[in-house]
Amino acid sequence: MKTTSLKTRIHPLKPYIDQLKSGNALLVDTPDNVMEVVGILKSYGVVLDAYQKNLIYIAEHQFLELFPFFKYFDGDINLNKLLRHWWHDRINFEYAEYCMKTMMWHGGGGLDQYLDTPEFKERTRKAIEAKIKTNLPIRLVDRLFPEFLLEQVRQQAYYSALGQFWYVMAEIFLTMSDLYDRGKITTIPEVVDHILKGLVAAANKPITYAVTIDKQVYEIIPQSVGLTFLMDTAVPYVEAVFFRGTPFPGTVSYNAQAYQISPDQSRFQYGALYADPLPIGGAGIPPTLLMQDMRHFLPDYLHNYYQTTKRKEDDLRVQICITFQKSMFCVTTAAILGLAPYPMNTTDPTEQKANQKYLEGWMDRFLTSQLMVANSDPNASLYSNKTENS
Amino acid sequence: MLSALIWLPIIGAAIVAFLPGNISAKITRQISFAIIFAAFIWSLVIAIQFKPESSTQQFIESLPWIDSLGLTYSLGVDGLSLPLLVLNGLLTCIAIYSTDEKIIRPRFYYSLVLLLNAGVSGAFLAQDLLLFFLFYEIELVPLYFLIAIWGGARKNYAAIKFLLYTTVSGILLLAAFLGVVWFSGSTSFAYEPLRTHNLPLGTQLLLLGAILVAFGIKIPLVPLHTWLPDAHVEASTPISVLLAGVLLKLGTYGLLRFGLGLFPEAWQNLAPSLAIWAVVSVLYGAFTAIAQTDMKKMVAYSSIAHMGYILLASAAATPLSLLGCLYQMISHGLISALLFLVVGVVYKKAGTRDINLLCGLLNPERGLPIIGSLMIAGVMASAGIPGMIGFISEFLIFRGSFEAFPVETLLCMIGTGLTSVYFLLLVNRVFFGRLSEKVVDLPQVQWSERIPAAILAGIIILFGVVPSWLGRWTEASTTAMINPQPAIAKVIPAVSFSEAKLP
Repeated sequence: MKTTSLKTRIHPLKPYIDQLKSGNALLVDTPDNVMEVVGILKSYGVVLDAYQKNLIYIAEHQFLELFPFFKYFDGDINLNKLLRHWWHDRINFEYAEYCMKTMMWHGGGGLDQYLDTPEFKERTRKAIEAKIKTNLPIRLVDRLFPEFLLEQVRQQAYYSALGQFWYVMAEIFLTMSDLYDRGKITTIPEVVDHILKGLVAAANKPITYAVTIDKQVYEIIPQSVGLTFLMDTAVPYVEAVFFRGTPFPGTVSYNAQAYQISPDQSRFQYGALYADPLPIGGAGIPPTLLMQDMRHFLPDYLHNYYQTTKRKEDDLRVQICITFQKSMFCVTTAAILGLAPYPMNTTDPTEQKANQKYLEGWMDRFLTSQLMVANSDPNASLYSNKTENS
Repeated sequence: MLSALIWLPIIGAAIVAFLPGNISAKITRQISFAIIFAAFIWSLVIAIQFKPESSTQQFIESLPWIDSLGLTYSLGVDGLSLPLLVLNGLLTCIAIYSTDEKIIRPRFYYSLVLLLNAGVSGAFLAQDLLLFFLFYEIELVPLYFLIAIWGGARKNYAAIKFLLYTTVSGILLLAAFLGVVWFSGSTSFAYEPLRTHNLPLGTQLLLLGAILVAFGIKIPLVPLHTWLPDAHVEASTPISVLLAGVLLKLGTYGLLRFGLGLFPEAWQNLAPSLAIWAVVSVLYGAFTAIAQTDMKKMVAYSSIAHMGYILLASAAATPLSLLGCLYQMISHGLISALLFLVVGVVYKKAGTRDINLLCGLLNPERGLPIIGSLMIAGVMASAGIPGMIGFISEFLIFRGSFEAFPVETLLCMIGTGLTSVYFLLLVNRVFFGRLSEKVVDLPQVQWSERIPAAILAGIIILFGVVPSWLGRWTEASTTAMINPQPAIAKVIPAVSFSEAKLP
């Protein structure tokens, strides 16, 4: 039998391509990595569940509320909750909004396209009219700036879509944690496989959005539009939040006027996979909020693990971020495998070539990411040195 | 009453020195701290009973000691020495508290620290020139050993250099004191009866010159300063705290007490030269600090610059400037102690003080954010930012000295601006930006390492907001230093602190 050898250029990240082709993940499979990834995704699942509930609450119950003072209260307003909100020892829903806005800003997918269609405008117009019919000042604003409320509704649609996406993801992460606790997940490829199965199972789940105004239901995104979980929320989310992100000020000052930021959004590389964990904890850095939220729900085994480090849990949020970044490479692996043109174990040379090209495309984007750092274990020195205050 | 401030640490030193060998370094530290804390509390009791409105020596104790030499054991305290005594107690408490629990040869170390405290207290309390000299010399011995045994890599060099310089200082001082007694025909070394106005001006100038050089080494003033940066760099953090916070004040205190106090006429003659000397010291210290890359050396040169302000104010010798002198002594004692403590923590954690290697230490999780904040508070105080004691002292000095030496005062004010320059360079490089790779993995900082610096920062702000709490102790004494001297009082009318309407 004549065999055809594939002549490809040697990609700098060829080892990772080989890993993926052999059924492994971007993250190295070690017991510590499994424990870290599952542990952090458990706390992430709890936080995501809270985020998604709030996002959907805002989308459905704060529709065109121009002064949504209590939007983070999920309709349950009391003094204790208010005091806790001001004390800031709470779930920071601001991070969910940051992700929503990032997703909306970068766009992509069917949702983005739909929000510019005449159908969306027509449906939204009806809801807007119903909502502001007794509000004369806002009616005047709407007359003067007809795009203003429309844009607000677009944002509400993203609130809802992200909420629906995270609903599924929270479920995936929490069931994975249960399986790990029962000893049914023990390796990184199993982690990836669990996520992949969850994504595939929910791939065609419809994304819809409707609001009720004066007991009348207004469908902003009806099922008939055909928006689905995987291609219209998951993929744009990964692209927007994992890869592109937003250049927020940290210890690096980005100056758009000095052309330090690319004018081409598609070339942005400020997402979760590229983020520097060290500035976490500083003000004005959105992931600080996520890490702060997750630290309340860390499983004991992860706490114990962090306690063995040099600073114990003094730098907890940075350690959470490093672990979280590892877990996001697992989620990204699942997304890469799920979107691959052909199964990775294909023996057809043409399909292999297509897969190779597909993977190289992804790896090009990982060249400047934290992938190598995540696999070099930046904490290695911490874990080996358990003496305190040398 | 005052003797307790000397003998309690001396007896404590003896007790600590002869503690059984099986007692741990930690327990030894606790015992030493208890002793020095008792002495500190006692100094506060004295402060509470002190009558601020009186300008004379209080709580006087006098015992004949060696009659043939004219030496008496005579102690007293006034508004000039009282704040320095309290500062000595406070900073020794902080130095002992900040000492590493696992220090080698703990009994010897803590005995020396207690002995150092006793020597400094004795010098501030002595009302006899020879007694002052004895205490002035006594404190050299423990300090020499503290640098030579527990210092850094070049500890022997630094300790010997310190000893040589300060021994010369001591010899000059002894010569000057003997000269004062001989030329004035006095039969004793008691401070109060000694007046030199009957001496020829040339003799006065000669004796005052010896005293100026003696204390100029101790302060130190440029060009007699070169022992100080070496001593600071090689000394451990607690010893640097004591060195900058208290030991240097012996020089400025001596300058006022024995320079201005004993030779008012000669002082007035030399005052313009002293003001120029102050300018040189301030600007040299500040410019040299800018060039440093070692954090501790930068703080050391900053000390030299800030001590120059005291010389300027002493030269002007107005009531306000003399009050500023005292404020600056306390202010510098607190601020430099804070800065050395913070630099010590940075060095302990990062293993380097090199400004070129450190970066981003304000990082909230992996850096030293609270230590960094305390450092920023310290440099703000040092640069004379309002609301902190550094502002009050510098304002008083500049306000009080401007009438006498306007040009020199303005030049010294440039030094304040330069303080901002070098300390902002330090803060910007070391604490801002991304955490450098060298310090990405720092060990934990314990609260016990932050508390001493936090206490000092609190006091710095407290006296910055309510400066009169310090001024009320000392104003009568500093004003009295100038009023009995008609020659100076005639030229510069007295302006009281309360008239200046400071908060």
